[in-house]
Amino acid sequence: MTERLETNVNQVSQSSRSPHYMAAEEVLPEIAEGKDSSSGKKEGEILPVDRRDFMRLFSLSAVAGAASCVRRPAEKAIAYVKQPIDQVPGVATHYASTCGSCPAGCGISVKTREGRPVKLEGNSEHPLNQGGLCALGQAEIQGLYHPERLQSPQFRDGDKWGDVTWDEALAKVIAGVKNAKKVGIFTGGATGHRHEFFEEVLKRLGSSEKELYTWEANSLYSSVSEAYRLSFGHADLPRMELSEAAFIVGVGTDFQVSGLSPVSHSKGFSQGRSVRRGRRNKFVQFESNLTLTGSTADERHVIPAGNESVVALLLVKALYENPASKGTQKFRSDVAATLQAQEAVLLNAYETIGVGRDVFDGIAQELIEKPSIVMAGSGANFDQNATLLQLAAIMANTLSGAFGKTIFFDEGWAKSPVRNGDLVRFEEAGKLDVLFVIDSDPLFSVPQSWKLGDLFSKIPLIVSIQSFPVETDRVAHVVLPGNHNLESWGDEQSIAGFWSMRQPAVRPTKNSRQAEDILLWVLASVEKNLPYQDYRAYLKKKWHAIYELIRPSIAYETFFKAVIRRGFTGKMSIRAANDVKDVQQHFRTLKAPSVGKFVLAAPLDHRLVEGRGAHLPILQEIGDALTSIAWDTWLAVNPHTAKKFGWQRNQLVSVTGPGGSVELAVYPLPGLHPDTVVIPRGNGHEDKRSTISYLNGVNPLTLVEKASDPLSGQPVTSVFPVEIKATGKWFRLAAMQKLVHDMEGRADIIKTMPMKEVLKKATHKRGLDDVPDLFPKLDEESKHRWGMSIDLDRCNGCGACMAACGIENNVPQAGREQILLGREMHWIRLDRYFRGDLNNPQVSVQPVMCQHCNHAPCEGVCPVYATTHDPEGLNAMTYNRCVGTRYCANACPYKVRRFNWWTHRWGEMGERLQDRNPRATNPDVTVRTKGVMEKCSFCLQRITDAKHNAKGQNREVRDGEVQTACQQTCPMNAIVFGNLKDPTSRVAQLRDDGRAYLMLGGAPEHDHFGLKTLPNVSYLAEVTLEEGTQEEHGHHG
Amino acid sequence: MDRKEEQAPRLVTEGPDGRGESLTTKEMRTVTEKGGKDLMSDEIVWQRSISDVNDSILLGIDKPSKTYYIALAFSVLCMAIGIAAWVYMINVGMGVSGLNSPVYWGVFITNFVFWVGIGHAGTLISAILFLFRAKWRNSINRSAEAMTVFAVMTAGLFPLIHVGRVWLAAYWMLPLPNTNNLWVNFRSPLIWDVFAISTYLTVSLLFWYMGLVPDLASIRDRVKGIRRLIYGMMSFGWTGTVRQWHHYEVGYALLAALATPLVLSVHSIVSWDFAMSAQPGWHSTIFPPYFVAGAILSGCAMVYTLVVPFRKMFQLEQFIRKEHLEALIKLTLLTSTIVSYAYSIEFFIAWYSGNEYEWAIFVKRASGPYAFYFWTMVFCNCVFPLAFWSKRIRNNIAVAFVVTVLINVGMWFERYNIIISSLVEDFVPGSWGHYEPSLVEITITVGSFGWFFTWMLIFARFFPLVSMSELKLIMPKPLSGDKLKSLKEGEAHG
Repeated sequence: MTERLETNVNQVSQSSRSPHYMAAEEVLPEIAEGKDSSSGKKEGEILPVDRRDFMRLFSLSAVAGAASCVRRPAEKAIAYVKQPIDQVPGVATHYASTCGSCPAGCGISVKTREGRPVKLEGNSEHPLNQGGLCALGQAEIQGLYHPERLQSPQFRDGDKWGDVTWDEALAKVIAGVKNAKKVGIFTGGATGHRHEFFEEVLKRLGSSEKELYTWEANSLYSSVSEAYRLSFGHADLPRMELSEAAFIVGVGTDFQVSGLSPVSHSKGFSQGRSVRRGRRNKFVQFESNLTLTGSTADERHVIPAGNESVVALLLVKALYENPASKGTQKFRSDVAATLQAQEAVLLNAYETIGVGRDVFDGIAQELIEKPSIVMAGSGANFDQNATLLQLAAIMANTLSGAFGKTIFFDEGWAKSPVRNGDLVRFEEAGKLDVLFVIDSDPLFSVPQSWKLGDLFSKIPLIVSIQSFPVETDRVAHVVLPGNHNLESWGDEQSIAGFWSMRQPAVRPTKNSRQAEDILLWVLASVEKNLPYQDYRAYLKKKWHAIYELIRPSIAYETFFKAVIRRGFTGKMSIRAANDVKDVQQHFRTLKAPSVGKFVLAAPLDHRLVEGRGAHLPILQEIGDALTSIAWDTWLAVNPHTAKKFGWQRNQLVSVTGPGGSVELAVYPLPGLHPDTVVIPRGNGHEDKRSTISYLNGVNPLTLVEKASDPLSGQPVTSVFPVEIKATGKWFRLAAMQKLVHDMEGRADIIKTMPMKEVLKKATHKRGLDDVPDLFPKLDEESKHRWGMSIDLDRCNGCGACMAACGIENNVPQAGREQILLGREMHWIRLDRYFRGDLNNPQVSVQPVMCQHCNHAPCEGVCPVYATTHDPEGLNAMTYNRCVGTRYCANACPYKVRRFNWWTHRWGEMGERLQDRNPRATNPDVTVRTKGVMEKCSFCLQRITDAKHNAKGQNREVRDGEVQTACQQTCPMNAIVFGNLKDPTSRVAQLRDDGRAYLMLGGAPEHDHFGLKTLPNVSYLAEVTLEEGTQEEHGHHG
Repeated sequence: MDRKEEQAPRLVTEGPDGRGESLTTKEMRTVTEKGGKDLMSDEIVWQRSISDVNDSILLGIDKPSKTYYIALAFSVLCMAIGIAAWVYMINVGMGVSGLNSPVYWGVFITNFVFWVGIGHAGTLISAILFLFRAKWRNSINRSAEAMTVFAVMTAGLFPLIHVGRVWLAAYWMLPLPNTNNLWVNFRSPLIWDVFAISTYLTVSLLFWYMGLVPDLASIRDRVKGIRRLIYGMMSFGWTGTVRQWHHYEVGYALLAALATPLVLSVHSIVSWDFAMSAQPGWHSTIFPPYFVAGAILSGCAMVYTLVVPFRKMFQLEQFIRKEHLEALIKLTLLTSTIVSYAYSIEFFIAWYSGNEYEWAIFVKRASGPYAFYFWTMVFCNCVFPLAFWSKRIRNNIAVAFVVTVLINVGMWFERYNIIISSLVEDFVPGSWGHYEPSLVEITITVGSFGWFFTWMLIFARFFPLVSMSELKLIMPKPLSGDKLKSLKEGEAHG
């Protein structure tokens, strides 16, 4: 039945396409050289060329070859007269810094070549992210070089904008500030000295430090810190050591990709999922939507949206009723009272949420027995109960004894980047004379029903300082280009006592200045100077306190330089533990879950977050791993629900919420609760601040009515009833994959293995390379045979690998129109498959890149030897030699090769401006032009680099010395790369692991070897914990 | 043999029975007598005699009809649009096609295989049927050979149109010495293609041109001025001496023997483009014979499709007789049954192999989103030709013409079906895609027909569409006196 549904859905999407794609010129490029891309094209033309173009092209036939050359921007190469000591041409310089994409504050290492940043990598020494970096962090480099960053300050005159000089702009700001009595600053979350500095500025200006308003669209910071304030008296966040947890219960959480500190939590989670070391955590998730985090769960319970707090309370109840549960007598009686008060809510809850009491009892038992943790909350449940959910989670963690084992609040707790209730305070504050909006976009990220625009319009002077233009600039009077994160000084203190330094990796690439420096300048101009020359000087002064705290045996100057060099320092803070306070009175505000035919969850998108990543093409392009949709916003509904209401994939429906309505296309996504519908946030920018984000998708916040969580004061952005009506129109979502259910019986692509079998079978009885065939023996001369192992038990589909690969290898973004044609260029893609019940399927995400087959089907068929086998096992690609027959791509059974259908031009992507700046490209990797095939090279440039280093030091390449870009960034440590010829290398050991298998390699244990391509990439089968649900491992047929 | 004899009167053109006693005729007759009656040539009631051949056939050369010019103009227009589209595609990139990942091959390769297939019938008819002494071929072999040469020329363009960097592919695919010491990859079926097709084109061209020489001499003798000079040079001083005829016949037979294996090899090699990759639905040992049978089917159908209008346009009804056409239809019917067998055995093997990937492709071909193309192929190539079992339909030129056009459509879709359905959904469901040809691809396809017909029409304007010298072999000798009289009376009554 479900398969039929999908077929119908496919057929419809094939036959009745939306008007957006009817025109034939969709198929045709907008990037024809010398063609005015903005000129309107008429429908029904045979060719998208007018008569003149036609004649020109026609007469050009004789010089077709010559005319196809591309004019590159002229650049001069000037040799150093005096070479800077840290700059060697051709050798990368790395700067330690701190990521600024979200307040988590991961350490980064900025790779610069000839003075320009070309790649970000997680700082491998940084204890928070341990080398990992999410897709958003990887994409920062595109934000730095974005062509749509402001080139100069701007004034607003009515609806018109005009460029002005810095002097004019500052004169206006100073004039406003001079007479102002009440100056305010509205800014984003930060954990370092930034907010302190702003407060100092405000005080110096005669305003009060209370006029600093912090706002972070990820309300989890507020709800968690508020819950901890209510429970323990400190508005901080807990530090969670997930690697210590053998049992993790998630209640509507998405901690791996959009939580408090996604990368560090992912790292911890993956360390707890080390099957080889005999540690394999168990993860049980309760959620209404399907999240990437939920896709890694061993046991997943689908609950109606808005019932997360109820589930958490049921968990508390089960724990409380378990005699082995912990907690002081007082705490236990408080819990009892709370449960007692909520008895009415909990009475029928088991039926409402559809999970039996025995399940909770079982979970409670395990929570108490094992080192465990309960994680709660994500963007999908920023509702009125968001803080209560966290309070319940605190209770559960206390009852299970998690504090001090997996959760730490008095020892190296995490700092909250925001102050709670600031938005409400801002609303209630009296009239401001001047408001600085710094690196924040409240007009887009706060629901429109809050009417912040009206509030702003009453302020006589709004100065917006942004590293990238945002929608809030619309109401500003002066917009000043701020420095990008990679051009700025700063610091973060994500964990109390632990400091991470941010230093500029490049001089401002645009005509921009750092926000803090602008404020210092304004202060000086109104003769209220602060005693700092610039923000760096301020930091240097402030860091004296940290120096005192750590008390190193070196001079301060040396210390400060060393920190800049290393990127971080610190000493774990410890404070006296508080008892858990009684929080039962707060539960009075527990609101019954929204009831409606459909309840909407509007989670933060894991790539675009609330919209801060929307202007970065690489983030738009990598798409959502579960739907594979790029560039668009979709309405995810349960496939059975879709069937019931007759909605089909790509059918345009109108969704009406209490605050308004939007139109968007349906995507039937397995694993959703039948009554829950999901619209991810991030897209829907209607202001043309960037052509990349302009008019992509919709913003679900327009549906929300004004409401807030009474405890944290954060606006409600999720979980409310909506009505959905079919419009009869169609809109083809740019999905990169077909929805295939149950793999159509294909057994050697994704393999799963029950835990008990994993334990029995440490290694294979025959090696993966022991394939009987007639091919000549593999090269025995060479010292290396590069291989990769990918752990499917860990991969969650966050897309960081795709972003890292794209930046490292200069992979172009093709754009939405090309994705619709099936022409995405990703060298590594994420294939996701669903198995079993459509209401609660098993989800697998499989990263697929070139498998570097030893018997590669692509190599034999190339007529010109453009793709050949390297003695070190690589399937090498010679771009210069390629003539573009595309035979290799046809022959490739994994379909990992990518063809350059166009020359992806600098700075353009169709009609969008793209930051494919020549400066942003990796100089070690050839940039490909049209007509050439490309694919994953195993980051050949990194292999070569490591070999050169090793040779220079007269030694062999060490295991782990070569890290591919995807491996390096993977927050889940799912990818391991190395030399298969070295039996002690990690990758060689993983290839011998009992879980290892080759994709399309048949079932070797049944003497069936599939295609016998013998890839150098091996996968580790997913581990299943439940009895009876797993497929027979290796069953073929 | 002295010089005088060599320069004997121009027998070909001068006397109607001048070359009646040439060696070949004798030979042919012997063969016929030994092998029984040659039904095709003996049963035909000719209404023209040898004496009419040159005048009638060369009429079109002397004075083409208005239809001819309209057809030529239309073909040139189509070709021009196709070239413009190609230039546009070279300029902008392959992205203007509908190709994508995973469907890296589409209409262009379909066209390539289609045109190579068309190019098969010519050599089959001229070489294999020559060796088998099937005399009916003499009336159509010229058109068939011309079609072969032009079809292969068209086919040869498509790999170039298809590649991403044609400016390099045009010579990098050839084993040319270079400073990098880079050779072509002889393991690649695409290189085999280069050799197979260029060999085939060369031999077909030689074979075709050799057959043309006596006819060119005939034209030379009819025209004056510069045309006489040109035709004179092209006919290499043919005078029609016995010795020349002897060399001609020996050479012709040798070339026919040389061309015969090529008929089988070229399409076998083309089929390896598919069969040598591991793609389900392609990786099959049945491909070479299956492709050859399909090629002959499409070739025969195309010859029919071409000959019928050309016969009308150049008033050749008296020379290309309906008996000849019927023989062609019979060959079409035979190959259609072979093709049907290949289709069914391919399905059977896919099921019998137990390979889920292979079987999935076949199930999808018949029932998936591209099923329309599959069923078009089945109906056009297997079902409609069944009508040819009826003699009435075989002899109804209009109906047979429609069916042969449908076979051509069906054979195009066969290739489209093989290429697209195997690529759209192959091994890994995560990479599955879709494909629709773009306007540029369609335009270039139309342009290829324009290119082909332009050559055909230019050929028909300057060269005899029917091999005059060979036709004379199968026509009755000039009739004298009473016989002629009675025949003419019969014609008048009938």
